[in-house]
Amino acid sequence: MTDHVIRLAVNDEQIEATVPARLTLADFLRDRLGLTGTHLGCEHGVCGACTVLVDERSVRACITLAVQVDGCSITTVEGLTGPLADRLRAAFSRRHGLQCGFCTPGFLVTATEMIENDSRPKPLTADHVRETLSGNTCRCTGYQGIVQAVLDAEAPDHITG
Amino acid sequence: MTLIGTSVPRREDERLLAGKGSFLADQAQGAYHVVFVRSDIAHGDLRQIDVSAAQEAPGVVGVFTAGQLGLRDNYIALLHEPDPEFVAATAFTMVDQRLAVMADRRVHYVGQIVAAVVASDRYLAEDAAELVNVGYAALPVVVEMEDALDAEAPVLHEHLSSNEAASLSFSFGDPDSARAQAAVTVAETYRIGRHGAVPLECRGVLTRLGHRTGEVDVWTSTQVPHMVRRGICAATGWTTDEVRVHVPDVGGGFGTKANVYPEEILVPLLARLTGRDLVWVEDRQEHLTAAAQGRDQVHHCVLSVDAEGRILALEDDFLVNIGAGSLWVAGIVANTAIHLLGPYRVPAARVGGRGIFTNKAVVAQYRGAGRPEASFVLERSLDAAARRLGLTNVEIRRRNLLTAQDLPYPRPLPYRDGVPIVYDGGDYRACLDAALDLLPVGVVAQEQAAHPELLIGHGVGCYLEATGRGPYESAQLTVTPQGRIEVMTGAASAGQGHETSFAQVAAESLALPMEAVRVLPTDTGSLAHGIGTFASRSAVLAGNAVAQTAAQLVDAGRRRYARATGADPAEVGYREGVFQAPDRDPAGWRELARLGGPGEALEGEPPLRAASMYRCRTVTWTMGVHATVVGVHPGTGIARVLRYAVAHEGGVEINPLVVEGQVLGGVAQGLGGTLYEEFRYGADGGPRSTTFAEYGLPGASEVPEVQIRHLGVPTDNPLGVRGAGESGTIAVAAAVAAAIDAATGCTHVTATPIAPRMVKSALDAA
Ligand code: FES
Ligand code: FES
Repeated sequence: MTDHVIRLAVNDEQIEATVPARLTLADFLRDRLGLTGTHLGCEHGVCGACTVLVDERSVRACITLAVQVDGCSITTVEGLTGPLADRLRAAFSRRHGLQCGFCTPGFLVTATEMIENDSRPKPLTADHVRETLSGNTCRCTGYQGIVQAVLDAEAPDHITG
Repeated sequence: MTLIGTSVPRREDERLLAGKGSFLADQAQGAYHVVFVRSDIAHGDLRQIDVSAAQEAPGVVGVFTAGQLGLRDNYIALLHEPDPEFVAATAFTMVDQRLAVMADRRVHYVGQIVAAVVASDRYLAEDAAELVNVGYAALPVVVEMEDALDAEAPVLHEHLSSNEAASLSFSFGDPDSARAQAAVTVAETYRIGRHGAVPLECRGVLTRLGHRTGEVDVWTSTQVPHMVRRGICAATGWTTDEVRVHVPDVGGGFGTKANVYPEEILVPLLARLTGRDLVWVEDRQEHLTAAAQGRDQVHHCVLSVDAEGRILALEDDFLVNIGAGSLWVAGIVANTAIHLLGPYRVPAARVGGRGIFTNKAVVAQYRGAGRPEASFVLERSLDAAARRLGLTNVEIRRRNLLTAQDLPYPRPLPYRDGVPIVYDGGDYRACLDAALDLLPVGVVAQEQAAHPELLIGHGVGCYLEATGRGPYESAQLTVTPQGRIEVMTGAASAGQGHETSFAQVAAESLALPMEAVRVLPTDTGSLAHGIGTFASRSAVLAGNAVAQTAAQLVDAGRRRYARATGADPAEVGYREGVFQAPDRDPAGWRELARLGGPGEALEGEPPLRAASMYRCRTVTWTMGVHATVVGVHPGTGIARVLRYAVAHEGGVEINPLVVEGQVLGGVAQGLGGTLYEEFRYGADGGPRSTTFAEYGLPGASEVPEVQIRHLGVPTDNPLGVRGAGESGTIAVAAAVAAAIDAATGCTHVTATPIAPRMVKSALDAA
């Protein structure tokens, strides 16, 4: 198994590491860097629990190899900061958008991309939010609170009860 | 402000939203990994297991087969025994199940463990596992229950004489003459497919060895830590002093983690054998192959009604496919049978049910555990009878639902706990009205206008759910040196918000602010006894245990205050966290805690603590009605759920947000099992649904907004709470099936998951 040296930024911190070619990005983040907020729900690219941002686009860390992100900038749930992240977190809690919380990091990352980097017209509609979240599975909440939380966070002025 | 009944924001949320949850796999740093070699055939004898190449592979510490483990009993001990009164009333029988912890001679399902590899990391352990060579002599495979009951069928478990795992039967009234007098009798076979909990976090077990103490600390993603401890001790012969089971953050359970698994015994055992800290983190394919599944029932139901649609008799004969085994077979068979009676006036019934062994994976109590199956069968039968009589689905229910005049309503049958059944509800017909108020039949016209391409139908489904099953749950409250109250219960949380809800109960009971209370994760070393979280029992059992123990803690505080001040304990008042007797200085919890310290008035007294078990006499019943509007695409037969409403007669809600979340999530899971999810098996017993591509969980676009109305009807326990964890799931299949039938006008859905091709071919033929 050949090892490779990779250099990347993770949550704004510069990192250099030697990794085997087959090490997944998720395992690299979790086991090497201790960033265990990136969760593994399927390890085959369906559930979205492992979603992270690679150069601001959402990526499934379970089916991405660490060597593939050489030179990239990674944001994990631990690195979501700022006003939008604060609003999202508050709205998820207020709307009961999480129960066990296992899916939550993936939803927060996907929602961040949806609100910040998606060219669709704003404010978002519930249907658009549902469609964009369709790559993330939640087994606990039935999605209702998650959808409401994303809408709340995107348009903070429109928060109703 | 009263805390009970308030939607206090959840305390769990902050860490979970920060990505700082502490799930099983998150705690694995430094541990070596276990990877299991699992049977890839469904039935056969083990011939030889060649581990030589694997032993030599890089990073491998050892490869273990059953013979090397030194287990005292190579099977998992029974989890519960049926109550003798219930056994007598229902002629209940149950055989001895001995499914191997690690297969030593024979395998009974694909995914059964035959060997374990221990290596320095997961990648290397998986490499080595592939080098283990297992030789089998295949045996004939039994997948379907009808085949398992065939006289020629192989008997799957050698120590038994048939493939029947459990049975019961009961009858009351006079079903034969009822049937003879009936205006309409509908008879049908119903099938509920095999689907299951499938929490987003798979299972996992971590063991750390206490080299100084000789203890083994086990973390497992479970709902039932004390049962796991018992399973470990029974199989290994260790004492409860040697092993301590801890519960990490658990990423969903829904019943599949309310079970005791071979891995929970093997990982601690292998840790001791290798002298290393070990972790096993289940992957999704393992989970969809080897974790406990649910449902998988066939019912033959005959419902007799009079000319007005009033139920005269219900007769049902059912089979439950428990696969290679189920530690919960008694619960599933009994739940199914009892819940077949539903929230209706049923004057006569004859019910028989059996649990059947096959070569599918094991089964546990998936959310509802017999209740959704029973609801589907009874509700579908009512719809069939309504159709024959020319009544609407709503009208036939109106005529049969129990009302305030009927309730409380006794049944001539004991519940599983041996106590005669009495439904303790308020007015079940009013609950139907509430559901229809949320989602009237008239909504169909609106939805038709919005979706001209779809066929639209409205459906309702009712359920009654026994909740808060005993016999007990325990709670312990301890005062820290700073005067904070720490709470622990036996009911481990798997996402239900116990850290918040139980803190609300404790704070309210102690008249303290929430900040003064903290709920600790369950561990069996700190709490000697407990049962766990399942069967909609935690709010009822653990909630009341916390309230009861809080009262005892106040008494203990009062006595300590009296000892320290010389006051008469009867004169010590307690208000908002402060004890005071006439003419003495007041003292709060913190001052009381300090009194035991060096040089203080009560030097050497142990920390204030109270522990108790709350016992309930019997279950309390939650009733509810689901209403839905479904659109069916005529070209494909695919159903889309457009609108959904649930009205339920619950009790006092400790935290309404949490209760509502349970109902919402329950509906989503119900929709999954009704429309999308199924564990499929080939004729060779091979599982065919081992990824999320094949086992389809509902996503954000499949689950509609759900409206909920809570009709609070307090019940006879100190907090007045009823369980609600399963309320969202139970009646989904019934309601959606009815809506599809109404939409198509030409189907009578009798099986789940509801296959679009069945709907389409009915439409094409019509
Ligand atoms: S864990 Fe990566 S998509 Fe499921
Ligand atoms: S909150 Fe449990 S999976 Fe989403």
